[in-house]
Amino acid sequence: MAAFFTLAGAVLTAFSKNLMHACIYLLLCLIGVAGLFVTLSADLLAAIQLVVYVGGVVILMLFAVMLTGGSSMQEVKNKFGLESVPQMGNNRTFLFAGITIMVFAVVVGKIVLNSFKKYSMAVESTNVEVKNNVLEIGQKLITDHVLVFELSSVLLLGALVGAAIISRPDRNTQNAKSDILEQ
Amino acid sequence: MDSLTNYLVISFLLFLCGIFVIIARKNIIAMMLGIELILNAAALNFVAYNRFNPGSLDGQIVTLFIIVIAAAEAAVGLAIVIRFFQLKESIHIDNATELQS
Repeated sequence: MAAFFTLAGAVLTAFSKNLMHACIYLLLCLIGVAGLFVTLSADLLAAIQLVVYVGGVVILMLFAVMLTGGSSMQEVKNKFGLESVPQMGNNRTFLFAGITIMVFAVVVGKIVLNSFKKYSMAVESTNVEVKNNVLEIGQKLITDHVLVFELSSVLLLGALVGAAIISRPDRNTQNAKSDILEQ
Repeated sequence: MDSLTNYLVISFLLFLCGIFVIIARKNIIAMMLGIELILNAAALNFVAYNRFNPGSLDGQIVTLFIIVIAAAEAAVGLAIVIRFFQLKESIHIDNATELQS
């Protein structure tokens, strides 16, 4: 069920012509991945996936889509006046992408399939007990992985400040405008 | 259903969809949707291997950091996209040909 949601969301994201619809289908796909995490007995990760992705990233994407005018601006001419590919791709780009992923699938399948056959039996025969492991994750996070934990906090701070600085309007032009107004 | 191979196949199909989106689209935001798909495929792989390797939780912790980094990447990437739209009035990838405007 969750696998079906995941794959359907991914395929619809790949093939929908409207960017807003693609974001909604990505939402479906991410909820499906959270369901797969639950079936893999990773409850904490499923909750984090729902909160961060569904509540944060996709909403951010939707805001960016709306701020940049959605997919209504379909320009087919580039700055030289030549005909350009439309924003959501045309048949040619879809053909290229299809050929690429087919080649990729064949190559990776050839490489990986033999090792799958060799190892999958051994892995699947181990009977895994399911337990609640939120406490263990928290303890490992502040003992064994404390450096990565702190680094991720610094990374998040840097990303926040960087995003604020990048998306701010140009300060030089505003100063120039205010100087002109003062004169 | 509950075998490692099924999860790996789902993850691989998710990854292929991400590659497809990145190649087929010419819209920067749509390409970022593809990046999210690929990151989710990697996270799913980590959790699946962790499930069938008892006694270890490192896969789940790595997945936690994958989610954190994906959030940071989305924030910075969308900030760049919005700034680019302010400068060029477009989010077509072919218009992004120079670093300094």
